[in-house]
Amino acid sequence: MNEEITVAKTLDLKGLLCPMPIVKIAQAIKEIEIGEVIEATATDPGVLADVPAWASTSGNEVVSLEHGDVITFRVRRIK
Amino acid sequence: MDNQKESLVQKGKKELDKRFSRLVGLSSSNLCVRCGLCVDACHYIMSDGKDLAVSPVAKAEQVRQVYKKHHDWLSKVFPRWTGAQKLTEEKLKDWREVAYKNCSMCQRCTVNCPLGVDIPAIMGATRSTLSSLDLAPEMLTMLADMAISREENLDAFRNSFVNQIRSMEKELQEKMGDPSATIPVEVQNANFLYVPLSGAHTILPAAHIFNKAKESWTISMYEAANYGIFLQDTARSKKITDRIVNEAKRLGVNEVIITECGHAYSTFRWTAPSWYDEPWPFRVRNLVEVIDEYIQTKRIKVDPEKIKESITLHDSCNLARNSGLIEEPRRILKALVKDIREMSPNKERNICCGGGGGLVANPEWAETRLKAGKPKAEQIKATQAEVVVASCDNCRHQIEELNDHYDLKVKVTGLSEIISEALI
Repeated sequence: MNEEITVAKTLDLKGLLCPMPIVKIAQAIKEIEIGEVIEATATDPGVLADVPAWASTSGNEVVSLEHGDVITFRVRRIK
Repeated sequence: MDNQKESLVQKGKKELDKRFSRLVGLSSSNLCVRCGLCVDACHYIMSDGKDLAVSPVAKAEQVRQVYKKHHDWLSKVFPRWTGAQKLTEEKLKDWREVAYKNCSMCQRCTVNCPLGVDIPAIMGATRSTLSSLDLAPEMLTMLADMAISREENLDAFRNSFVNQIRSMEKELQEKMGDPSATIPVEVQNANFLYVPLSGAHTILPAAHIFNKAKESWTISMYEAANYGIFLQDTARSKKITDRIVNEAKRLGVNEVIITECGHAYSTFRWTAPSWYDEPWPFRVRNLVEVIDEYIQTKRIKVDPEKIKESITLHDSCNLARNSGLIEEPRRILKALVKDIREMSPNKERNICCGGGGGLVANPEWAETRLKAGKPKAEQIKATQAEVVVASCDNCRHQIEELNDHYDLKVKVTGLSEIISEALI
């Protein structure tokens, strides 16, 4: 559970509105290797629902999703 | 491999037949007198003028040639006389660019056609066919599927959604200086269900207006965007629409108010009702219509001195040309802006921003989209206005990108945001 995660790519999605955060993540996931992780920060509250839904339909994994003033999430490329 | 190719073409023929009605197909084909008025009306041609292959008539002809080959007796017997062509796998792949990349479905060609040939309907049938063959742009398909998946798993993010709304509510109370200001969630028997997009910019200004109007309203966890309609995929589109219809029925509201989003409104208001056996027990309006009513009936008041900048209004194709919301935004702006600068042409003959039809969400063709937006950029520049009001989120995304790309030096905003700034 305390697995150390190495982030292969970071994305600043702050200020982007739906659907652009998901569009950017869907593009970026293709630029990393299977098993690697992207960390992104966003401000659009829509990503709280969109990121898990996108991961579920695209077959990738949400490693973490935290929200305060800024939403920070990590996704792992599975396929 | 050959069998696979054959099956794609065979399936393509069947799918095209299902979607390409005789009315759309042969009658449109026979009606068209090749006058070329649609060529001059298309923003793809206006931005370039050289590549006539992207003109509306040429795009429609590529699909009609195939339809004729299978449905017109003269074309069956003498295909060379009529230019009829067989459907091939290559042609199906070419259509992907014809219908998805080089057409924003803005309907300006139809409005300018003396015979009313509905070329976007032909492009729509083509999009739908490609979507059924898994040849639609991957990003649009993914966004539609994501929306369906999200709505099927709402409970997983209910708490975070409610927390976000409560956080916005605090912001609203501070802005209004009123601790009783509220953003009601899932309230039974409210007068209307307001359906925003996911961004706070479609929730907070509208909430400010509704609170000032002392409206009985509610939001729920559903948002308005419908990516299925860009695919012209009725099954996906209807799944997305169902959630709003069912929610409105569950809450017992009198009306559903769709936010400033052109495709979401035109889909929900004009297209979706025909997918249901029974009429809906609620009325559908756009937020722009509600604000217009509030101002006309003096239910809200705005400070006519508050907005000092010069403003131009971008008519969204889906709201203005395709839904008739032309005078409403103008009446609203007149109440609070002294210096309004109309674009030319405007209203039902307004030029598309280039981002419609799902193009703004598809990075694959960003270069084409920005080029196709050049006539809109020139229109904006010609007004010398400081602010562009775009009452559609899709257009707003595109105009913000045009602003950077063509160095327009304007501020881009929505109608409800500008009203919210001037509310008394």
